Amino acid sequence: MIGPLKVLIVEDEALLAMELESLVEDAGHSVVGWATSLAEAKDMVDSTRADIAFVDIHLTDGPTGVDVAEYIGDRKNSMVVFMTANPKRIPDHFAGAIGVIAKPYTMNGFTSALRYLQEGVRRPPPTSERPAGFTLSPAFETVWAPAT
Amino acid sequence: MDWKRTREPAGAWHMTDDLHAEQGKGDPFAAAIRATRMSMIITDPRRPDNPIVFANDAFLRLTGYERHEVIGKSCRFLQGPKTDKSAIAQIRDAISGEADLSVDILNYRKDGSTFWNALYISPVSNDKGELQFFFASQLDVSDRKRSEHRITADKDRFEKAVKERTAELEAALEAQTTLLHEVDHRVKNNLQMISSLILMQSRTASDDNLKRSLSTMLERIEALSTVHRRLYQSKDVSKFDVSDFARDLISDLLTASGRSEISPTLDLEPIVIPAEKATPVALMVNELVTNALKHAFKEKPDGTRSGRIGIKMSQPDGHLNIEVSDDGVGMADANGDASFGMRLIKSLARQLRADIEWRDAGPGTRVVISMPNGPQQKGNQS
Ligand SMILES: Nc1ncnc2c1ncn2[C@@H]1O[C@H](COP(=O)(O)OP(=O)(O)O)[C@@H](O)[C@H]1O
Ligand SMILES: [Mg+2]
Repeated sequence: MIGPLKVLIVEDEALLAMELESLVEDAGHSVVGWATSLAEAKDMVDSTRADIAFVDIHLTDGPTGVDVAEYIGDRKNSMVVFMTANPKRIPDHFAGAIGVIAKPYTMNGFTSALRYLQEGVRRPPPTSERPAGFTLSPAFETVWAPAT
Repeated sequence: MDWKRTREPAGAWHMTDDLHAEQGKGDPFAAAIRATRMSMIITDPRRPDNPIVFANDAFLRLTGYERHEVIGKSCRFLQGPKTDKSAIAQIRDAISGEADLSVDILNYRKDGSTFWNALYISPVSNDKGELQFFFASQLDVSDRKRSEHRITADKDRFEKAVKERTAELEAALEAQTTLLHEVDHRVKNNLQMISSLILMQSRTASDDNLKRSLSTMLERIEALSTVHRRLYQSKDVSKFDVSDFARDLISDLLTASGRSEISPTLDLEPIVIPAEKATPVALMVNELVTNALKHAFKEKPDGTRSGRIGIKMSQPDGHLNIEVSDDGVGMADANGDASFGMRLIKSLARQLRADIEWRDAGPGTRVVISMPNGPQQKGNQS
């Protein structure tokens, strides 16, 4: 068994945040915080320790998800995965994030993404199959899924 | 008329107005030049300022001057403020270089009105090759110039209009694209919310039947979500790749659900269908695959429910064939037609004008669907 993950949820839609929390906990991980804006996310990043943050692009204060990822990236205290219905909004360099889970994801799709990410965070590179609807950033593509 | 090579004795031209006007009267050649409707003059470059020594009546009619007003003058009086400087320079060069020249130049009449003059100038030399005169003819081409100007103006106006219209259309397209992205974003978010609502509800349901119902409902909604996600991931939102969808579906239903004892066999040609068929086809495939997963495989003594499930997609000319098969218990004692799943499958088949058939695969079930899919729909792997 590899250790469970501490998860930070950055999502402005309460229902989706609730669902994510359930799915994260069902999979044996824990949620250390939920932020709905850039400011909240910054506070939470500074006050908690998470292994991975799931970051929506569109938050209550606008398309600030990329800024959240950059803020986390500067502090190097957690990894980032975007979750968005609009992956085209993500910059080419992915602001250092691992990748993106495209909305709408399925329950199983998210759960298998969690497993894949757990392997990637704890024991990189991940060994399980990359789930449908999950796209790696170019930087992580070369490390986690080098072309054979 | 090839005036350029004229080698008349110099004397012939001395039969001109300012010299001995009468002398030329008996000369049919000079008479013709006097009477022609083509405006013509002769200048004498050997005299200071290259003055006009002969002008025919047509020249006087064209310019509005009297003969005595032009004879002995340089042609400069034909120029005015709007005369093109470079045309004047061309004439100067032709005169000093003793070359012939054809040029359109804006000239002025005595009354100040202007006309476009298609000027032709040619040097005339004697037998020894010494320059004697310049011969010049003038043709009023104002009408041609006007229509040339009109065509240029029309062309400019037209190009401007096209540019403006293009900019308008580009802006409209931009607005449409933004709107499409916005709507797409909302639809995806709403589908995600619907899934979340169902999932959260089923977590609190204590009744197993209700839980199963909600989870079937979630699967159907998620099939729609997968369609939508795939549709708007592609560059062309009017086309849908069913094979990619089938791969996503199988990975979602098997790999992720932890039913690793079931092995999938996928035989999928890349097949593209029009977007409007995406949802019914996806829902139908989802029903068939989930049915096989739920009903085909009976629990074994060791507690597992293992088996094979297969999806095959091909497109023999103009048709899309889909086969979903399992090696499970078969449908001999299925309680069939009244259940919602079956009715949904059959209705979707009707909507798609598809033939659908459940075959006994001994062991298991093979469901074969065949529907028209325009021959122009070629597979697309991008
Ligand atoms: N691949 C299959 N193998 C065995 N039985 C099946 C298969 N597909 C459908 N059935 C039978 O047909 C019945 C009707 O299916 P359906 O209308 O989808 O209802 P439901 O899935 O809700 O039971 C199922 O209850 C099952 O008994
Ligand atoms: Mg069913």
